[in-house]
Amino acid sequence: MLRVSAIAEQAGVPTSSLCCEGFLGQAKTTSVGLGYPNLALATVPGHVDVQTAEELRANVLNTTVEHVIRNLTGEIAAAQAVADPDPQDIVFEGSFEEVNRLFLENGWSDGLPIVPPTKEKIAEFLAFTDLPPDHAIGKLLPDNRLATVWNVAVNGVMAGCRPEYMPILLASVEAMADPQYGVEHSGNTPGAETLIVLNGPLIKQLGFNYEQGALRDGFQPNTSIGRFWRLYLRNVAGFLLHQNDKGTFGNTWRVVLAENEDSLTKMKWPTVAADMGAPAGESAVTISRFTGGNVIVSVFGDSAEKLLPYLGNALVTHTGWEVIFTVGMATGTYRPLLVLSPLIAETIAKTMTKQDVQNWLFENARMPAHLFEKYLWGWTNLVPGKRTLNDWVRLGKIPKAFAGNDPNRLVPVVTKPEHIMIAVSGDPLRSNCYLFVHNGMLGFPTTKTVKLPQAWRAKLRDAQT
Amino acid sequence: MARRNSSDYAVVWPRSAKAVEIRPLTKRLASIEGKTIAFLWDDLFRGDEIWPILKGELSNRFANVTFVDHDAFGSTHGDEEHRVLAELPGKIKSMKIDAVVSGMGC
Repeated sequence: MLRVSAIAEQAGVPTSSLCCEGFLGQAKTTSVGLGYPNLALATVPGHVDVQTAEELRANVLNTTVEHVIRNLTGEIAAAQAVADPDPQDIVFEGSFEEVNRLFLENGWSDGLPIVPPTKEKIAEFLAFTDLPPDHAIGKLLPDNRLATVWNVAVNGVMAGCRPEYMPILLASVEAMADPQYGVEHSGNTPGAETLIVLNGPLIKQLGFNYEQGALRDGFQPNTSIGRFWRLYLRNVAGFLLHQNDKGTFGNTWRVVLAENEDSLTKMKWPTVAADMGAPAGESAVTISRFTGGNVIVSVFGDSAEKLLPYLGNALVTHTGWEVIFTVGMATGTYRPLLVLSPLIAETIAKTMTKQDVQNWLFENARMPAHLFEKYLWGWTNLVPGKRTLNDWVRLGKIPKAFAGNDPNRLVPVVTKPEHIMIAVSGDPLRSNCYLFVHNGMLGFPTTKTVKLPQAWRAKLRDAQT
Repeated sequence: MARRNSSDYAVVWPRSAKAVEIRPLTKRLASIEGKTIAFLWDDLFRGDEIWPILKGELSNRFANVTFVDHDAFGSTHGDEEHRVLAELPGKIKSMKIDAVVSGMGC
């Protein structure tokens, strides 16, 4: 909404942005990053989702109309630019406790103690990249600040990372800055959280946990890189609670998920990174935002035929309103992630490839059409027009698998089999699996290869001794 | 800056330079009368109900106002977002739009 207004103001026409009462604060902070801190806002009192038609009409007539007229014709106070420090200047000297108090008071920390970002510590991180410190990786909305090698190192130090994680931190931020990922949506109200999936030789070289407890904090690389992600969103992209981050509930950051590549090699299944097109033999990160997930406990059976129905059921029962990313708001962008324990994956792999599994789930993990449509525009108001799935098929927007007039017919939860992402990790000797439910285009899967510095092995050896 | 104690930490700012300049808003209209006002919508939060109320009230208060509805642009959120935003400056010019109302932030 505000991006539209900023573009229109730049094109030379005045604007008024309609904003529910609870979002005025976010709108004001987002406006700064768009270059127009004083974008004119018209308030819609309360929240429209729970108002009767009469209440909505009264609110618009009594408040919003006046604001729109004032926004388009009245004088609006000029905005003043706020001077920022130079990123390489020393901004403070003090004890560990004093530094941490300063960072908390300025919103530069997540509430846990940070490692003070001194130039000495930052230099250790910069030694693990061939890029210069001022190299710009991209621009990050909503604050519209530059992602640079320097501030990747600064936030890596703060998060408790080791210097040799720097290549992974840089690849993660490169993915964050890719427009395909959609970092600007990271403050949306569902409060989804990003998962970084790691593939390649770095899993073992850096000591990532990819076995029991793979999604739990407790291993330094998995944990600290996950924390880095959220600190970077805070400090460089500008996602702070009560400002640009409007997650109604939110989640804390997720630890990095490393795949069990020994198991994948044994099964001859491709990694997540390979599925996403990353070159073989290189390390890569794949980022994606997930609204939530659930563990699928004690999957029982000695064959793929016996194991898959439970997994298919989980795919359907844990997917809810997110089908607006299958059809409607952002058609074809729903990419759930099924994490199989090696035990289950290897049992399935006796007779099926990963592609076979995706095809089976596409054909069999299905939801009643009437329920799908309730998520689109019955129980929510997220897809306007009240089009049925059959209407979407007739318009040529979705596959024929969704067609039909029977409201009880079963339809897929994704538009293509390969949209069901599959990873292998976790306890190798337990029969549990996990399903991550996806936030569609508001955190679309994006993969970047990790670029190692010259003399990587020598530098790594020195760092680890 | 000299350190107060040998155990002190000299730290840098963890944020980064802005990649955008602060710009002034464009000049506001002298009046809404006789102007063309466009509505751009993100297909969310009852904008399709709010816009007709706004149109009706603005027409009551100001003469000869022309409105361009959201379907002339497409959704500003979702599949069409990047295209709609890229096309907007050209459409403002070609449709002779004088002001834009954008919704909904909720």
